[in-house]
Amino acid sequence: MIYLYVEQIFVYISFLILFLVTLLNLINFFFEIDKINHFSNNGMKFAFLCTTGFLTTRFFQTQHLPLGNLYESLMFLSWGFSFLYLISNVKNKKRLSAPVLATSALLVHAFAVLSLPHKMRESMSLVPALQSQWLMMHVSTTLISYATLLFGSLLAIVLLSIFHGEIKRYCVGNLTNNFEFRHKNYPLISKNFPKQIITESFSYSLFLNSRKCQLIHLLDKWTYQAISLGFSFLTIGIISGAVWANEAWGSYWSWEPKETWALITWLIYAIYLHIRINKKWMGKGSAMAASMGFFLVWICFLGVNLLGVGLHNYGWLI
Amino acid sequence: MNTIQHLSTEAPSVLGGHRLLKSSSCSYFVTTAHGFLLARRMLSGISQPEKYRRILVNSYNRKQSNSSNTTVKTSTKLPSVDHLTPSDAPSVSNAEGREDAASSSQWKERKDDGVDVRAGFSSGKDKKPALLTDSFEYFAFLRRLKRTAEKLLSSFPLAIAELAIIGALCAVGTLIEQGQSREFYLQKYSEDWAFGLFNGEWVLNLCLDHVYTAPYFLGLLALLAASLIACTSSRQIPLVKIARRWRFVNSGASISKLDFHETLPHARLADLAVLLAGDKYQVFMRGPSLYAFKGLAGRFAPIGVHAALLLIMGGATYSAIGGYHGTIMVPQGLNFMVGEAMYPAGFLSQPPDSFDTEVHINKFTIETYPNGEVSQFRTDLSLFNLRGQEVSRKVISVNDPLRYGGFTMYQTDWGISTIQIHVDGEGPFNLVAAPLQTGDNKLFGTFLPIGDNGLAGAKGISMLARDLQSVVIYDSNGAFAGVRRSGSEKPITVDGVTIIIDDIIGSTGLEMKLDPGVPIVYAGFAALMLTTVLSYLCHLQVWALQVDDSLVVGAKSNRNRAEFAEDLGKLLNFVPEIVRDRSMENIAPIISSTNEELSMQGTSAKMDNESSRS
Repeated sequence: MIYLYVEQIFVYISFLILFLVTLLNLINFFFEIDKINHFSNNGMKFAFLCTTGFLTTRFFQTQHLPLGNLYESLMFLSWGFSFLYLISNVKNKKRLSAPVLATSALLVHAFAVLSLPHKMRESMSLVPALQSQWLMMHVSTTLISYATLLFGSLLAIVLLSIFHGEIKRYCVGNLTNNFEFRHKNYPLISKNFPKQIITESFSYSLFLNSRKCQLIHLLDKWTYQAISLGFSFLTIGIISGAVWANEAWGSYWSWEPKETWALITWLIYAIYLHIRINKKWMGKGSAMAASMGFFLVWICFLGVNLLGVGLHNYGWLI
Repeated sequence: MNTIQHLSTEAPSVLGGHRLLKSSSCSYFVTTAHGFLLARRMLSGISQPEKYRRILVNSYNRKQSNSSNTTVKTSTKLPSVDHLTPSDAPSVSNAEGREDAASSSQWKERKDDGVDVRAGFSSGKDKKPALLTDSFEYFAFLRRLKRTAEKLLSSFPLAIAELAIIGALCAVGTLIEQGQSREFYLQKYSEDWAFGLFNGEWVLNLCLDHVYTAPYFLGLLALLAASLIACTSSRQIPLVKIARRWRFVNSGASISKLDFHETLPHARLADLAVLLAGDKYQVFMRGPSLYAFKGLAGRFAPIGVHAALLLIMGGATYSAIGGYHGTIMVPQGLNFMVGEAMYPAGFLSQPPDSFDTEVHINKFTIETYPNGEVSQFRTDLSLFNLRGQEVSRKVISVNDPLRYGGFTMYQTDWGISTIQIHVDGEGPFNLVAAPLQTGDNKLFGTFLPIGDNGLAGAKGISMLARDLQSVVIYDSNGAFAGVRRSGSEKPITVDGVTIIIDDIIGSTGLEMKLDPGVPIVYAGFAALMLTTVLSYLCHLQVWALQVDDSLVVGAKSNRNRAEFAEDLGKLLNFVPEIVRDRSMENIAPIISSTNEELSMQGTSAKMDNESSRS
């Protein structure tokens, strides 16, 4: 029983703090107040510790990693979001990823705490199929990949929704001194030829420094980094799931709904990474692919469980 | 004073000169093998640079002199990374900088001659004797065919479309339940579903009941494999070849065509080289030009990703056409032959000798948690060969299969085969149990007839069991009579008959697989995991050219261009600007650092200042 109380304390405290942090971040996003940064960072650290505390109490209670049912998976996902927040905090202080990550952590946490029935929140003992070392690796890498991919896709959605018409003009590819590409859009600059290197880069920097261009550039950069990291994790997660299935049931791929949707998510992010290389389609095309990935990840994570069929329906809402 | 002059004449020798090498921690040199070799060469003394200068002079005069054939050969050899030795990239001091203008055109010519592989190819073709023209044309035709096929298959929109359509078909396969009977689809998707446009007939005709084995799906997968092969061979491998061939650039014009370029006034090539080497670049200098790269693995890794995907697809195909699988439900205590339970998956299946083993189920148990939920299924198996000797014995459970002779036996299912009872003191009788409910909540039932009413009007006692622990007993009218645990020896009297439940005998559901493609698929998995992570390394290339007093720097990266531009810009901030002191112009230059001071630059500057004051 003591476990239950401790867990509840951790969960409710972290929920409150996440709520406050999200509020602070959103306020900071509109009115840039320096002190808020400080408070929200510390608050997020505390929330991260509380969520970690919850997961560790579950671990001590059940002697296996807290990834067995939907409740625990959602808390792990929220933990992942707050972890990403802290990592991106290290890299740069002024950032756009903060409100996105804080909001995601809060929403997932709220869904887990407020919407799931009490019975589903209890820690259950593992069914025979889950009693394996692979559980830790497969589920944890897949959940971390979901967190990073969702983050990247959210940024792509932000990019698309804010700069809907203007991505092509300030296009990401434009940020390099790609001669021909730029000259298509800005014929006035083409007079200066390579001999006058300095003047060219000077006139170019006028566009480079515009705030909108910088914002697009930043969003695209963060999207790419988050999605590439998430893609590696997703690959590892899918493969470890396949190897586990082979050890447990003898077939590494059985076209099960969850497996198939994980593969579809993998394909859409592979499409994103490939579109990003193509000079004609990058910018808007890649942002669209990443945005679609957002919905696919949610279908993969929650939608499949709701179907109620297949091997992965351990956590379906009745 | 002497030391300063020594420095000025020796300075442009790569990576900063003797003094710097001796005074610094040399960490820059040991990070790259090339740097180490150059350091060794520098430390060995002054005679070696002479030798290299001689070689260079000879190569400069290549057009004039025909005698030095060997040196010409080594200098016209196509420079590639693995052939790199100190002799190939000598350093030239500034004293010979004046030959640059004359030699640059010669360098360019040499570069064109050496690098143009296609020209070399065609000249080789013309020399073929007339006898082989027929087969030669045949090969040319094949080559042309291969090239058009490659161009078609490696087209970018096609690849994206393939991935997208495969994804969409996979999604369809999850929305429509797969592998059910014909009537299921006709009933579920009846006429008025989606305004009659889509019904069960459509589902069956379009093979949507087995999408993942449908011919068009498999055809798409094959097309994807062909695209992967075409893309790798026609786009990626040539790019790798070009990227591995390092070329010095000798005109500022071509540098300024690069994505990122900058001009640094009053800068020295050697300083840039030191900075780049410190940032883990591999640096090569030849004359006034410099080439540095980093992260070559980032060029190879995408090829690795495609190769790994092809391996996985190949292995999966091999599994699908060359394996065996079988499912069997065996009651405890009985045997079966492995070969009889296995069915071949395709036409390449070869039964191994181990299929002649007999499997005996010693015991099947279900373990439970204290709250009654199932914790594990265990089956004690013995394998006997044809001569009756026990060759293997293992207790398998759900995540712990038995591997023997190439096939693997998994615990996947369970059932109840019989309920053993004593009736009125007689017995034991085995009543066969029938599955009433399958799936997650299993229910088995059996029936003990009472009286002699014949088959039609048989009345008796029904017994139902959900697990191997207890039996629920109902009397002839269907009323609940009682619950008994197996092995409890407590009798129950129903309809005048005393029953003692002895045992509930379970049967174990085993799945056996022989999968020859698994090692290939596992290799593909490992390669895919590794190369996916590696392919995020950027392949960064930096070219620099010393033009009079200033330095023209250009750079290229194969991904993540913007951040690379930032990082390189920060690195270029460290390049010191050489300020010539007008009053001491004829004596020596004084080196001062801009922005932040690197320890190496700092110590060298300090030492120069000290020696200049002395």
